[in-house]
Amino acid sequence: MTDLRAAIGMFFAVIGLILTAAGMVLPGRAPLENANVNLYCGAAMLAFGAVMLWLAGRGRRSG
Amino acid sequence: MKLAPVDYFILSLYFAFVLGIGWLARRRVSTSSDFLTSGRSVPVWITSLAFIAANLGAQEVIGMCASGAKYGIMTAHFYWIGAIPAMLFAGLFMMPFYYGSRARSVPEYLKLRFDEKTRTLNAVTFAVMTIFSSGISMYALGLLFELVLGWSFTASVLLSALIVLIYTFLGGLSSAIYNEVLQFFLIVLGFAPLSILALRRSGGWNGMAARIPAVMTHSWSHVRHASENPMGVEVFGLVAGLGFVLSFGYWCTDFLVVQRAMAADSMSAARRTPIIAAFPKMVMPFIVIVPGIVAVALSQMSLGYAIPHKADGAFDYDQVLTTLMAQFYPSGMLGVGLTALMASFMSGMAGNVTAFNTVWTYDLYQGHIRKHAPDSHYLLVARVTTIAGVALSVATAYLASHFNNIMDFLQLVFGFVNAPLFATFLLGMFWRRATGHGAFAGLLAGTAAAAATHGLTLAEGKGGWLGAVIQTFPSTMAQNFWIAIFAWSACFAVTLLASLLSPSKPEGELRNLVYGLTDIPHDRALAWYQRPVFLAVVVVVLLVALNLLFW
Repeated sequence: MTDLRAAIGMFFAVIGLILTAAGMVLPGRAPLENANVNLYCGAAMLAFGAVMLWLAGRGRRSG
Repeated sequence: MKLAPVDYFILSLYFAFVLGIGWLARRRVSTSSDFLTSGRSVPVWITSLAFIAANLGAQEVIGMCASGAKYGIMTAHFYWIGAIPAMLFAGLFMMPFYYGSRARSVPEYLKLRFDEKTRTLNAVTFAVMTIFSSGISMYALGLLFELVLGWSFTASVLLSALIVLIYTFLGGLSSAIYNEVLQFFLIVLGFAPLSILALRRSGGWNGMAARIPAVMTHSWSHVRHASENPMGVEVFGLVAGLGFVLSFGYWCTDFLVVQRAMAADSMSAARRTPIIAAFPKMVMPFIVIVPGIVAVALSQMSLGYAIPHKADGAFDYDQVLTTLMAQFYPSGMLGVGLTALMASFMSGMAGNVTAFNTVWTYDLYQGHIRKHAPDSHYLLVARVTTIAGVALSVATAYLASHFNNIMDFLQLVFGFVNAPLFATFLLGMFWRRATGHGAFAGLLAGTAAAAATHGLTLAEGKGGWLGAVIQTFPSTMAQNFWIAIFAWSACFAVTLLASLLSPSKPEGELRNLVYGLTDIPHDRALAWYQRPVFLAVVVVVLLVALNLLFW
């Protein structure tokens, strides 16, 4: 089947993009937290997704 | 708690992905063994993450956070001494027999090693127990979503069951395992920010520790006497009951987790599975338990946050996790957090369904109903069993919502049946003289000893139904640890005696099943960082460091 890393990477990249966008567009803050949680968590998930996609791509090239 | 459209969008995206993974995994299924054992072809990093994810059900996540708020960092004993040593033992010493015997399930190993009656006893109790625990977990989830989000109990139970059904029906064990890896990452990335944000708000670890009793931030300094800690346990009960009997009984013999290791693509991968899984397992307390502890500190800070109450005024610790999410996650991340909760539920349920499926199809159906059918027949049975298993789980969830007492009673009985199991496996794997009659008699004696211990002792008003009360425990947890200790000892002694009194199997039939008649795999061909023993030593060093750090 398609590399599981690619599926996981794609999932977190998409979620990361949605959260990052929400962090930039929506003014929403949580009751006890002033930081822009969506932006930071979104960026972290985007990075994790990118690493998984890179690993999947590397795996495909090497066979 | 109110969800925004973006939260629902994230949840539906997750549903789409798990179904998609099931759809891709279906192409790998052409025989019953592909469907039920993944054809022993899964890479080790995947089996390792699935190994802990299958255990990380919603009840586990919600319950561990609740215990964190109730007992503090001592809850981590369920992850450290209560899991890691047993996981290492399973990988180093038991996997050579499970994997090497070519058994397709844990009960089938018992059949090969002992006899049919021992296998059937284990298979029947395991199958029933699996369905009940999946139903009870479904009930807990439906209740929580009804309470927190106002979703209908029926809708959330049926929708989540339907999705698990579709992806396990399509791809069997492979599909469940692949999804467990996705679910594992989602649980970590969905809950870890909560722990970090909440801890930061309460002034970091030291700020939090200053606001709560010292016993909540120390794991070992308050266990000399049961009266010193809120768990009501003392060090012997903790180490022998939890750390040895219950922990080894679960991680070394429960087919739900062992099945993941048995799906690995080689003997060395099967042995490394529980050992590699021990690394993330060790740090899970910081993600699932710490938020509960922080919640207690936050409730002391006049921020407007309080631990939720039940109608009768007692604390409702099960709601700590979701109320914290509502305080720290804005719309968007809140959706990810709830999706992570849903993911933990699904990984637990799919674990139960796939394990039930294999035990029913191979151990009960093929063992007793139709012995010699073509493989396509068993594949069909396995697919039908998937539907039946999910339907029975849903039925159990409804049963639990109407008859809570029956559920408590059944969980108690299952506890009695499970407690002695590890003694049977230990003697079976390391003593070639152990016999089928011995194992069977030992299991019955162990279960009887467990019931008798419960009947003769009292804790929080539970037990004592045999008339006389010999001992009163400060908590049901302490009582459970001691029930396990007595059950294990009785099973060990009776198996030993009854084996000596009954004829043993010829050595030829015990090849690859018992220590001394099995080729223990050599690791020399592997790179040093791939050797099970090396990895286990690293785990032990880290485990000791963690315990010293939070002493």
